[in-house]
Amino acid sequence: MNRFVLWRTGATAVLLAVLSALVFVLQQISPGDPARAYVGGNASPAAVAAAHHRLGLDQPWLQRYGRYLWHALHGDLGISLRTHRPVTTDLGQFLPATAELVLFSFVLALLLALLFALSGALRWPGTGVYRGLLLLAGTAPAFLLGLGGIVLFYGHLHWLPEAGRGVDTSSPTGFVLVDSLLHADLTGFVAGLRHLVLPGLALAIAPAISIGRILRAGLERAYRSDYVRTARSKGIREITVLWRHIVRNSLDATLSMAGLQLGFMFAGVVIVEDVFTWPGIGYYLAQSIPQSDFPAIAGVTLLLGGVYIVVNAVVDVLQAVADPRLTV
Amino acid sequence: MSAHDMPTPDTAPATATGPTTDALATAAAPVASVRGLTVSLRRQGVRSPVLRGIDLDIAPGEILGLVGESGSGKSVLAMTMLGLVPRSARPRITGTVHTAGTDMLHGSAAQLRAVRRTRLGVIFQDPMTSLNPTIRVGRQITEVTGDKGEAITLLGAVRVPEPAKRMRSFPHELSGGLRQRVMAAIALAGRPRLIVADEPTTALDVTVQAQLLTLLADLRDEFGCSVLFITHDLAVAAQITDRIAVLYQGRVAEIGRSAHLLRHPTHPYTAGLLGSRLSLSTPRGVALPTLPDDSVPVTERLRGCAYHTRCPLAVDRCATQQPPLEQVEDTGGQRACWRDSGAVSDVHDAVVPAGGLAAHAEPLGARAADPPGVAIEVRGLTCQFHTRSGFGPRHTVHALQGVDLDVRAGEALSVVGESGSGKSTLLRVIAGLTRPTGGSAVLRGTAQMVFQDAGSSLTPWLTVGDLLRERLRIAKVPPAAATGRVDTVLAAMGLPSSVLSVRPGELSGGQRQRVALARAVVVPPTVLLCDEPTSALDASLAASVLNLIREMRRELAMTVVFVTHDLAVARLMGDRIAVMAHGRLVEEGDAQDIVTAPADPRTRALLDAVPRIDGPADRPEATR
Repeated sequence: MNRFVLWRTGATAVLLAVLSALVFVLQQISPGDPARAYVGGNASPAAVAAAHHRLGLDQPWLQRYGRYLWHALHGDLGISLRTHRPVTTDLGQFLPATAELVLFSFVLALLLALLFALSGALRWPGTGVYRGLLLLAGTAPAFLLGLGGIVLFYGHLHWLPEAGRGVDTSSPTGFVLVDSLLHADLTGFVAGLRHLVLPGLALAIAPAISIGRILRAGLERAYRSDYVRTARSKGIREITVLWRHIVRNSLDATLSMAGLQLGFMFAGVVIVEDVFTWPGIGYYLAQSIPQSDFPAIAGVTLLLGGVYIVVNAVVDVLQAVADPRLTV
Repeated sequence: MSAHDMPTPDTAPATATGPTTDALATAAAPVASVRGLTVSLRRQGVRSPVLRGIDLDIAPGEILGLVGESGSGKSVLAMTMLGLVPRSARPRITGTVHTAGTDMLHGSAAQLRAVRRTRLGVIFQDPMTSLNPTIRVGRQITEVTGDKGEAITLLGAVRVPEPAKRMRSFPHELSGGLRQRVMAAIALAGRPRLIVADEPTTALDVTVQAQLLTLLADLRDEFGCSVLFITHDLAVAAQITDRIAVLYQGRVAEIGRSAHLLRHPTHPYTAGLLGSRLSLSTPRGVALPTLPDDSVPVTERLRGCAYHTRCPLAVDRCATQQPPLEQVEDTGGQRACWRDSGAVSDVHDAVVPAGGLAAHAEPLGARAADPPGVAIEVRGLTCQFHTRSGFGPRHTVHALQGVDLDVRAGEALSVVGESGSGKSTLLRVIAGLTRPTGGSAVLRGTAQMVFQDAGSSLTPWLTVGDLLRERLRIAKVPPAAATGRVDTVLAAMGLPSSVLSVRPGELSGGQRQRVALARAVVVPPTVLLCDEPTSALDASLAASVLNLIREMRRELAMTVVFVTHDLAVARLMGDRIAVMAHGRLVEEGDAQDIVTAPADPRTRALLDAVPRIDGPADRPEATR
């Protein structure tokens, strides 16, 4: 087990290095001259050359990559061309909002998936409507779900807010739900939750279906298995049979699907944040792209890619914990 | 299916005493009592009767054998007695079932759980799949005992070495025999009054099987529990049971004391089962005895005896009237047959050969007169597998460690060994399916393979016709000739031409194995490689498939390599036998000589572990 964790950590480090190299190369081959962008369109050739030298752009590629990596490891991802602040500072400001939305969405997706899988595998009466609605909603892309949700629940029913996080984001952790709980601020908590519901659902439904389907297949396989028959023959309670013997043995494929989906959600969040003007990484990215703010774009890419890699590594380790045969 | 006027005790311990005068069953209140039980289940959308009126008692401390072919309903009977019939099969049940003092048909779910936890234990067939792979075995036992010390005691009681250490093992870290002992420990938890053992040794090697049978008998003596022992193998039942109930198509054909029933069967079906059993003394030169293979699917409309279509003694009455289960005067057993016991024993004596091994030492009739060439030449063959690289300790499995072997053209060689001995790997290397690590395996001519699991070795979405024609197309047989070839091979296999339009999933196990054989020989190979082709089949079906392989060999003058774990089958199928152990060839010689005068101790161990009905009635000693 320890060897497995060690091995997986090493593989993760290699993948992160590859990711950083890819981001660096993308930055280098993208059109536009960062030096010119700094000094402005009307600068003299001498000023541009000076900027070139200052930014180290006249050095060989390998050396530049080494410097880039060294700085990145120290939290320096360059200066945003748009905000003229360090990209790391920008990311630090926008990341909590994204993380809160994605994590909230992910938990929501897991709950929806569990309900989808259990109700289907155990044939709970009357739950076909739920599964049908979920599947129907899953046919629509996230931005359409978001817009539809705004039109229905904000426009017609006035039940939920339509945009933003509803609270001042300069709070200590940046997580509205956590902060309001820490301050025993029930109104703030409810407001934060109300703002999370629509974007959270829009982001959660497609992953919920993917995870739910895999889990359901696993549950049905485990349900028919010999060891579940053995568990029943022991005369232990049905709820114990369900959790300890059926659900736990259905988790292997479900875990990798959940990890995959969590990775996808960090990517998919960009569009949902744009629809709901959610002040997160995606919103930041959407602002940076039209301005060709390459340091910012590269920073976001590096961050989301890194999250994706780390999430998958954690899932692999969790899978090994769930099924000890994997580390033999 | 007559109605019984039975007392229906609800909470009191079962005192039901049915219309039985069996001495054993009435000596004390039975641990389990079944009366007029009928069960019908829905399978693949069709409802069919599985049990059609069962009356049965299990006495305290008794080991009752439940014997029958697959589909006879023995597992469903066990599941009903445990209250574990899957709801998905929409069971319809009538009659009464009392197990360990509880009404298993009408008790509440909590009552049934309580009785299963404290009074009943179960050992299932395959310990690999029946133990939860993700939970340590200790936890799987404490789940029932609730107490770690008790769990360790139980592991000790089932002779697991270093029980405290084994508590932390996962099932996949244990051998098959140890896994089944863990199952036995789980079954023993709560000191049950009845242990249901559903084919507990079928997935195990013969030597391990012998040890487990000894263990079960010991546990009965130590803990005083009863055992319902389900098996398809009469010889296994003969090893440990006090009484045997023979089940056919959901009804009891006969019940009696084991020793008596096996020597003097009173039902034609029991006589047939005994006759079609392959043993070390089955005559080699003639076709193997089989039961007629025209069993009819049982429906609600069946009026007479379900066995009458296969019964050599059937009279008109058998087709129209169900024979009741009646007392046999002098033996204390019961039987359900219209014909008298004398007629049955005449048939039995005619089928079961008398005499010892030496009387049947004639060689197989098929050997060609001194064929010139060598069909298979194996030299210094080694084969290693590495389990999982990248992380975790690396294991190397030495499947073959320097095997030298010659098979002459036209010869039949049986390869015997326990699981893990390398016999299947050897066959796969010869067939070219596995690349050897060292040495060489040369096969002259063309080869075809027949596998153990015909169900998964036939492409499920092709019809039988497609499967056969595919082979002919590859061999570039013109379509005009192909039809004739297909018809010929089907006729040789005794399959109706209607199977051509059917997919493998719709065939029975025996038919599937015949189709697999037909596919192998429709383009006649010079070498036929068989990997345990009959291990999954009932005795009679297995015998008929073995007969077919021998006929095909004779007609097509094929060389045959036959891999099996069963020495009795090896002796019948091979001119010579090669015995393998731990990747090495330990003994090789004339088939009859190997069986009568084994030279290697490992061959002797295999021979000693073969369960026997006749001969010295000894229980094999456990090698702990």
